Amino acid sequence: MENIDTKLREEAKRLLLEKRVDVIVGYEQGTLPLTATPCFITTPEEADKLVWNNLCTQNLAKYVHDLIIAHKNSQKRVKPEDRKKKVIGVVARGCTTRSLIIHLQERQYDRDSVYIIGVPCDGYIDGKGLKVAVGGADISEGSLDGGQIKMKTSDGDKTVALKDVLADNCKTCRFNNPIISDVMIGQNAPAMNPDAEYNDVKEFEGKSIEERWAYFTKEMEKCIRCYACRQACPSCYCPTCFVEQSQPQWVGIGEDPSDTQVFQLMRLFHMVGRCVDCGSCISVCPMGVDLRKFLKKLDKDCFEFFGNRAGSNMEDMPPLGKYDEHHDKGDFVFNP
Amino acid sequence: MEKRLIKKDALAGIAKKMADKFLVWAPVKKEDNVLFEPLQKNAEPNFAYLNSKNAPKNVFFPHTETMMKYTRTPKGMVFSTEENKAAESVLFGVRPCDAHSFVLLDKLFDQEKYKDGYYITKRQNTTVISLACVKPPYASCFCTSVDGEPVSSDGADILITDIGSDCLVEFITTKGEKLASYFGDAKADAAADAKKNEIAAKAKEAIKSKIPAHEIKPILDKNFDNPFWNTIYGKCLACGTCTYMCPTCHCFDISDEVKGSDGVRLRSWDSCMFPMFTKETSGHNPRTSQKERWRQRAMHKFKYYVDMFNCIACVGCGRCVMSCPVNLDIRKVVEDISKL
Repeated sequence: MENIDTKLREEAKRLLLEKRVDVIVGYEQGTLPLTATPCFITTPEEADKLVWNNLCTQNLAKYVHDLIIAHKNSQKRVKPEDRKKKVIGVVARGCTTRSLIIHLQERQYDRDSVYIIGVPCDGYIDGKGLKVAVGGADISEGSLDGGQIKMKTSDGDKTVALKDVLADNCKTCRFNNPIISDVMIGQNAPAMNPDAEYNDVKEFEGKSIEERWAYFTKEMEKCIRCYACRQACPSCYCPTCFVEQSQPQWVGIGEDPSDTQVFQLMRLFHMVGRCVDCGSCISVCPMGVDLRKFLKKLDKDCFEFFGNRAGSNMEDMPPLGKYDEHHDKGDFVFNP
Repeated sequence: MEKRLIKKDALAGIAKKMADKFLVWAPVKKEDNVLFEPLQKNAEPNFAYLNSKNAPKNVFFPHTETMMKYTRTPKGMVFSTEENKAAESVLFGVRPCDAHSFVLLDKLFDQEKYKDGYYITKRQNTTVISLACVKPPYASCFCTSVDGEPVSSDGADILITDIGSDCLVEFITTKGEKLASYFGDAKADAAADAKKNEIAAKAKEAIKSKIPAHEIKPILDKNFDNPFWNTIYGKCLACGTCTYMCPTCHCFDISDEVKGSDGVRLRSWDSCMFPMFTKETSGHNPRTSQKERWRQRAMHKFKYYVDMFNCIACVGCGRCVMSCPVNLDIRKVVEDISKL
């Protein structure tokens, strides 16, 4: 990966020097062992901070949307002839490009507002899974060495195989290489194991309604309504979330289980055809709520009913925003 | 005050015995997390834990609590104050940093001018038993930088320290002494005391993560408008993880939930990281971006709280450092401020 870092930094420097982009959203080394953290590079000198490895967790498309919308808002009171365009460079793996495609399909910004620096991806480490793999011990030092993660922990030295602690969404990822990009750093990464993509969902579908509801309520009981899942999600970009509307108030602010469930259900259903399985919501959740089970079920339904995989093709129409007069002939369309 | 020795494996039994009479909050393993929860019958407390995922502040300051209820009648509104009663409780096995947080929270909720009945009642009815950190649980613990120590009785009624052979039990307050009967009758000798002091010194030494928490106060006094604030917030997701996990964050929201002619007034946690936190009825928001919100968080912990109560509103537990989804590390923020 050393080589990729070098190439990435060179490309970032070039883009900034040539003023092709105003800022590059990428990853730098974090302050805790075995972490990388999002960073914003605006000068060629800072580009040396950039890294790309299996510790880069967050889907950076979220920041692209935030930055462009903030810029658009700042230009609202500027005379049209004086308005400036801002171009965001972004280090993007497969799922990040899928999120960018969703933004573009949903007309959030123009294609030339974003410069996509594609990177190959062979999955990121699931931080919570890693913690479980070392028996809950505190990791004080760690390094990635080929396929091995070597750690110093409060229970002594430990080594774990990278493939065992990849995030679930990475293990079965279908689109680990960028779908669209303006420049590609390095060679495409080998395929992951997409055949197993719906194994968990299929098993879950086999359970009784009571068992599934019990699982849903158990998972939702863990939620503390910090909204980290919503905040990390590139597809959750509503200026005001329905849970924060007060006139009328749709959801109570307290701990009533039904309020939490309504928030999560609404978020989940807003994700049909829009969830790219980047795993950001799961990785950020402090309480370890299993959101993926439900998101993946909706994803499976969306594919089986509408043949759509979220953000997998620039030419697709969003499944919930598409009307096809040759196929949408169900009675409910014409005689609701 | 009195000191006794108990067997190391006796802790769980004592907690369970107390649970017959009191509401006992103890660390319980739930899936991959250890959480402070009321100890259920047949549940095993986990005292071999590093620290709990959630801060135990929810014992005194729950995520949601009812403040009052009201009903509209033809003769006008009828109010019923929710009976502000707390069961006699024991908070068993908190880490010294979290016990320290109660001292800080007391300064706010139980001050001369304002008395928060909801908090005070629970606080008064709860005995706090601290479990000393004989070795710092996490590499990111920094309690010694914010007036704490891994072996400290600050905020505790009873302090339990594992001294190798046995556990030393120190009764710090009269409230703690009332529970003395649960801890056997083996008196601790001077040797146990010496051993504890030795362990305490070693544990203190072992805290390697240090931040200039006190040094930044005069810098914060003068740098409200420093461009530095533009540089830290970019990656912040504006989620409430740091504030919800924090043992000292205490901001809340009050809302009415009305059904027909009945209403309930609730108080719930809120977070300065949320844009809604400062949004006014008119739609105007004085803190327009995450920059102002992050500045508020840093200022509140390291300046405003010091101005008001002469103490830093951080206990160095490291929860926000470990739980932040994007690794926005408050230790680094403080470090960077110290260089302004």
